[in-house]
Amino acid sequence: MRIFINECKKALTSPILITLLIVFSAFNIFIIVSSSDHKEELKIVNEIIDKYGREITDDSLKQFEKDIQSDLLGLTEITGKQFESIYDFLDGLRFEEQEQYSDRDWEFFNSLQLKEMYFGMANSIDASYAEIDVQDGARGDLKGYGISGKAAETYLRENEEFAERFNEMVDNEEHKEWFFAGKPYFMHSFLFKTVFLHITIESLLLIVLMTALITTYEFENRTQLLTYSTHRGRKLMKDKLAASLAVSTVISLFLFTITLGTYFFLFDYSHVWKTSISSAFNWENPFPYVTWWDLSVGEFLVAVVVLVFIIQLLFSGLTFALAVIVKNSYTTFFLVAALFILAWLLPTFMPKSSNLFIVTSYTLSTLTMAVSQSFMGSSGLILFKNFEWMTISCWTIITIVFCTITYKRFRKMDIQ
Amino acid sequence: MRVLWNELKKILTWKMLILLIFINSVLYFLLIEFDIKHFPNGSHSYSYEMGIEMIEKYGTTMDDDEFIDFKRTYAHQVEDATQYLQSREEFVEEGLDTYEKFLAYDWWNASEEIYALRSNVFFEEKVELFWELQERERLLKFYEMKDVVPDVLSKKKKQRLEELIAQEKFGIYPEVVMMNFKTFIANVGIAILFSVVLVISPAILKDRSRQLVAIQYTTKKGRNLFKTKILAGIIATFIVITALLAVYFSLYSLNNTSMYFDVRVNTFIANESWFDPTFFQFILLCIAGIYIIGLVLGLLSMAFSTLVPNMVSLIGIQIPFVVGFLIIGLYPLLPEMISIWHPKWLSMISYCAMIIIVIIFTAILWKREKKLDIL
Amino acid sequence: MIVVKDVSKQYGDFTALQNVDLEFGNGLYGLLAPNGAGKTTLIKMLATLISPTKGEIFYNGKNINDMDDQYRERLGYLPQQFGYYKNYSPKQYLLYLAALKGIGKKEALNKIDELLEKVALSDVVNKKMKKFSGGMIQRVGIAQALLNDPEILILDEPTAGLDPKERARFRHLLTDLARDRLVIISTHIVSDIESIANEIIMIRNKQLLYKDSVADICATLNGCVFETTIDYGQLEDFRKNNILLSEKQEYGQMTVRFIHKGNSEDEWTSVPPQLEDVFLYEYRDELEGEN
Repeated sequence: MRIFINECKKALTSPILITLLIVFSAFNIFIIVSSSDHKEELKIVNEIIDKYGREITDDSLKQFEKDIQSDLLGLTEITGKQFESIYDFLDGLRFEEQEQYSDRDWEFFNSLQLKEMYFGMANSIDASYAEIDVQDGARGDLKGYGISGKAAETYLRENEEFAERFNEMVDNEEHKEWFFAGKPYFMHSFLFKTVFLHITIESLLLIVLMTALITTYEFENRTQLLTYSTHRGRKLMKDKLAASLAVSTVISLFLFTITLGTYFFLFDYSHVWKTSISSAFNWENPFPYVTWWDLSVGEFLVAVVVLVFIIQLLFSGLTFALAVIVKNSYTTFFLVAALFILAWLLPTFMPKSSNLFIVTSYTLSTLTMAVSQSFMGSSGLILFKNFEWMTISCWTIITIVFCTITYKRFRKMDIQ
Repeated sequence: MRVLWNELKKILTWKMLILLIFINSVLYFLLIEFDIKHFPNGSHSYSYEMGIEMIEKYGTTMDDDEFIDFKRTYAHQVEDATQYLQSREEFVEEGLDTYEKFLAYDWWNASEEIYALRSNVFFEEKVELFWELQERERLLKFYEMKDVVPDVLSKKKKQRLEELIAQEKFGIYPEVVMMNFKTFIANVGIAILFSVVLVISPAILKDRSRQLVAIQYTTKKGRNLFKTKILAGIIATFIVITALLAVYFSLYSLNNTSMYFDVRVNTFIANESWFDPTFFQFILLCIAGIYIIGLVLGLLSMAFSTLVPNMVSLIGIQIPFVVGFLIIGLYPLLPEMISIWHPKWLSMISYCAMIIIVIIFTAILWKREKKLDIL
Repeated sequence: MIVVKDVSKQYGDFTALQNVDLEFGNGLYGLLAPNGAGKTTLIKMLATLISPTKGEIFYNGKNINDMDDQYRERLGYLPQQFGYYKNYSPKQYLLYLAALKGIGKKEALNKIDELLEKVALSDVVNKKMKKFSGGMIQRVGIAQALLNDPEILILDEPTAGLDPKERARFRHLLTDLARDRLVIISTHIVSDIESIANEIIMIRNKQLLYKDSVADICATLNGCVFETTIDYGQLEDFRKNNILLSEKQEYGQMTVRFIHKGNSEDEWTSVPPQLEDVFLYEYRDELEGEN
């Protein structure tokens, strides 16, 4: 245990780690704060959920409509004219007239506008979902990407299954739950793409650096002859692996806490945790986000955090194995970086008619880069239901095998 | 000289060169391949061809007469298109028997069958004529707009636009080549920056961590060796940049853009610039920019290499600098260095400031090294 | 001739050397002190690697830091720990240093052959150094110091890692060299320099203690060094009253060598003092502190 702690200290007390953690945290906070102009507008969803419940039912919608009608009466009181919709009023508003209304009036206008927007979207859910044809979309994808042969068959088969899931989801009405409107705010991509990618890439950089530091420490400080001839001897490498994993945990915990802490401090998710992530409002791209399983926003967040965390531990393990071979932290870092990109590009080197094209996307890099679309059937070429657990399992095995081989090799290696 | 040669050999080792090639291949596929392999891409190929036709026919500027000729060609093609439409019954049936009608049709609210006809022409039959016409129409629109100065611009930008109009430098040549070059050069910039940092960073730290300094600094050459190491680093930077530029530009030559070389940057569409070099001169300008940025970052790497205690810190400390530069500095300083969307002297001042800062920094380090206790 | 004039070195609050005055002419000087006494600090100042906080060092009347490369041109230096390139052969390594020392390539090649012969490495001239033993590396280091045929040769712990045979050869080499140049050897192994040094310099408490010939230094303990045989059980008592230099077990009894100032006892045999005795005597506090 003392050995383990000493190994951890080598990384945790290095000034560069502390500096970079601060720089990265500051950067993440900056990114989040600078994109939080609309955080007040989002609160309307909480109000709506408070008033009409999380689920969108015909009754609640009717109630909602009534309330909007009475608000429109309020609008008439303020403006002295009758409008069918707040938009009619706003469209007709001339620049000079804007100043006639007080701030409180404007607050009212804005809130009514938001309510109408959400109401309109909720009303059109059924129609929009009726237009979606999963299989047709899949065939379009094949054409767009130029995929044929076996790969196309596999892709279509999986989409068939996804079509079933999609229909089941629509029947369950998982999508009829309130969430922040996707197209105007892009909250899903902001959180799971922008913010998560920042956290992931930053912690990966630090994890790779620190794992390389711990693993090559003895060779770079010329203490290898001492340390590997002690009682603990070459088993020290096991402590180093454990320490690398522990330090990785600390790093990712730190960045996650600071960044997500800031995020949820600024954006109030308190009412939407239980909303399904497949909510019709969570619709940013041509295709809405639809998960393979019925996951709520909270569950999805936890699942993605766990996923990213496992990915990072695996990267730490892979870096460890590479560093044991290379014995040089500098080369290790650049090799890992290059291999990360290479793994990400792997499918582009494969024939688009072969299943290899699909199999080669089962890499940690692809998983990392597409983390916002995890567990989803709406994620294009990596829609596969087994994509996440398969990738993780395969790479866990690869990592364990790789680590074991290098460790065994290291135990017999000449140390000079 | 021999000392310099020795230091250079220590920087450009075989191992490092292999790593450099590996990383550049990866970066090539990640960043650069697309702009080489897929150029001109899809409908852009019509722009590209049209530009060449314009240059061959009218030279690198177009006066009003030449434009009348351009319009005449357009009119001919419109006739051809009309003939084509008339030759296809489906179109005639729908009342689309002339190109004018085809053009004026309200496609946004078209029924599916009629829209399918349009798609048939553009995507299935891929009738070149229609694509070309579309491109010509686009160019004509830009020509008609040539005198318009947007209201939202700052005073200086407006002035510059008016100046360009007065000199009859209108943005009317298709911009695909320029756009392609700009993304290409920015990505080449990224690849080269990483390469320079990769190769140069360890230069000074390595001897220090090997405990060679005591012997080196007690020789006749003594602490002046530090200067030689810096010089070797600069030369190595220069070699790396030159070699990579040679490789990447020979790949770029596959894009076949030399016909555009004499076109001035301001005559490309939407490419208003503070200065008016030709496309070729602009390429040279960008190359110069890459050399400067590369040398600045090389020197910065060596500065860090002198200061940090180990390799991990060396990488770590450079991450914010390199990434920060890529986010903030790369575009304004490289592809957009003379664009009017940035202040006129921004790039010039930034380049000068970077050079001065790095030189001062290096000078301070040299002073420090001269007095430093070697423990 | 090197003159060290009133030199002090401080690292922050810590004083490594205080007011040291020294003069070196041609000949071999042994710098003798326990670890941490400031030996390496003095050596590094003589090698221009660190500069004095106070005072100056002159070579032939000129400040060595002002002489710059003119001083270093005449200097051969072997650091206590020195680096090398694992993938270089001794020849490549020496050629590299020859370039730094401003020696022409042709000249260097001849010199390298000659030196590697001298340090008995002729058969591994082109072998990579990563497979070398500690003693071989050390000999490359010695060769390196001699590369520019230096007028001043400074060797910091040069015999570390050398076997007895190599040590003997090395002592020969040094006497040879010291005839017409200034050689300073820092060591804490007395036997390395006892027989060959013209003068011994001892530093204690950051200050100069002795700078004298071996004989003169030994003379300071004339009549105070004794040997006798005692029972093992008496050892503790004996230690309290005398300064023990060494003890040896023989036939169940202890033969001890010790220093006693004042009246001697009959069963003690007075012996001529050795340099080692002076060393042990002068540094007894430091040495005990270490144990």
